[in-house]
Amino acid sequence: MSSALASLATSICYVRLAVRDLDAGARFASEIFGLQRVAQQDGDIAFRSDSRFRTVSLVSDEADGGSVGVEMWDEAALESISQQLNEAGFPVRRASRSECERRYVEAASLVRDGSGNSIDLVVRPRQSGRRYFPSRDAGIVQFHGVGLRTIDSARDLVFWKILGARVSDWVGDIAYLQIDEQHHRVALYPAARSGLLYSAFEVEGLDQIMQNSYFMQERQIKILQGPGRESASHQIFLHLQGPDGSIFSYVNGMTVLGEKPRRPRQFPFANESLCNWGSVSADVPELRVADGRA
Amino acid sequence: MIQLKDVSYVRLGSPDLESAETFATGCLGLEIAERGKKTLYLRSDDRAHTLCYSEGDPRHQTVGFEIEDEDDLQTAAATLEALGHHVHAGTAEEAEQRKVKAFIGFRDPTGNHIELVVRPERRGRRYFATRDAGITGFSHIGLNSTDPVRDERFWTQVCNARVSDRIGDIPLMRVNAIHHTIALVRAPTAGIQHINHQVESNDDVLRSYYVLNEKRVPIVFGPGRHPTSGARFLYFTGPDDMIFEYSVGVDEIEDEATHRPRQFGFEPSSFCMWGARPAGMALPDKNA
Repeated sequence: MSSALASLATSICYVRLAVRDLDAGARFASEIFGLQRVAQQDGDIAFRSDSRFRTVSLVSDEADGGSVGVEMWDEAALESISQQLNEAGFPVRRASRSECERRYVEAASLVRDGSGNSIDLVVRPRQSGRRYFPSRDAGIVQFHGVGLRTIDSARDLVFWKILGARVSDWVGDIAYLQIDEQHHRVALYPAARSGLLYSAFEVEGLDQIMQNSYFMQERQIKILQGPGRESASHQIFLHLQGPDGSIFSYVNGMTVLGEKPRRPRQFPFANESLCNWGSVSADVPELRVADGRA
Repeated sequence: MIQLKDVSYVRLGSPDLESAETFATGCLGLEIAERGKKTLYLRSDDRAHTLCYSEGDPRHQTVGFEIEDEDDLQTAAATLEALGHHVHAGTAEEAEQRKVKAFIGFRDPTGNHIELVVRPERRGRRYFATRDAGITGFSHIGLNSTDPVRDERFWTQVCNARVSDRIGDIPLMRVNAIHHTIALVRAPTAGIQHINHQVESNDDVLRSYYVLNEKRVPIVFGPGRHPTSGARFLYFTGPDDMIFEYSVGVDEIEDEATHRPRQFGFEPSSFCMWGARPAGMALPDKNA
């Protein structure tokens, strides 16, 4: 039964980010980053990046703190995983009607991972009949995944394994987690504090990564790392400073893993493992090796 | 008509061969083929050499193009002389220095020193780089032109070059299937504007960007992508202010018979579709 459920977490479907200045955050998300603004309700602003109704919400309620949405296969999977999480010591709370509406989903269970990051386990997140139509040609194809800060890797791995994720590769103790054919949709970065590290959006190709890189330079938007390429997943990335210390990333070209069973590979904790092109993040401790190359 | 087959080598004068060697091996990533007292031969592919430094004036810059055989060489000499170009017939010793069977030298209408060569040497051993820059070979040159319209006529009517695309009046010209082997660049004097080596992949272009930055080699343009040839590129400065380029993914002209040159406007996005701006490298000046 548990192995059949192993794939029942089907996608990372949204991020909700708490921001102090909602309007400034919204300007960044739409005018700079290239998301499509779609709705505003209860002080939240929702943005699209693909066929889903929304993949990003900026949340003005600071007590809320934001969350990451993980789509479950169906109600039965939600029930089963919720029960397993409860048994493993991760208390799960059923979301109220209004909490579900605020998340644009039919049902949800709210839980915290081992580090205390808020994770929403959701069923039937809303899709949109209209295609994604952004205000700027950033070349975004889809919301791809997230990086999470972890202060308790062991507990967090227990948590994500219950959701059906498995480690695809390691860089030092950074764990890339696979939930579908992509090399990873979630990456856990050991850190001094918990929280969302980055939200990654896939673009069409290298052209868009580079065009966005020059676009940001011209507008003096801080590039935190990149253009670069992850050694383990081969994914090209550009990490940008978003509102309130958040990181928004453009990505492309991640390795697609086949059906064939494979063992996670161990890469050394070195800047070369984090970027094989040679980019180094000067400002984000989780994205760099403090004393240079190993 | 003079049938150019490919670009063969570049010869550069330099007052400081030691610096040239340090750059060529430590930064550019070429292989030393031969080191003489006053010469340095460098390889980038299976040819015996594609770049030669000799001690001297850095304004001495020569481009060699391969042609079919010695008969064609004689015909070319006659053609050029008939047009009023002074033609220098290479001596046996000079040919040996160039590792070719025979050659002639002349100046194009701008005054660039050009050599036409027969049977440039190849090497049995493969090129083995000193730095992993991913170089697959010497590919093309940017050539100064004081009058691009006149020089386009020379290269396309006296020689067999064909225009693949134009940016303003600047022609990118091919002599084989590769999008361009000669890129004319408007400039006040003769000279080689840049020397291009192809690399294996996008990764190599971006890696070199970070490596060369770390080595404090001035990056003068890129990383970027030319909308004309489709190539991803990086331009940087070497000894004596010579500009070198890495690029990957230059288009091939698929149908020689039906290809028509496209006209690109004279504007930054015609040189880079990613938005890179030249820094410390003059783009061909429209009105110079």
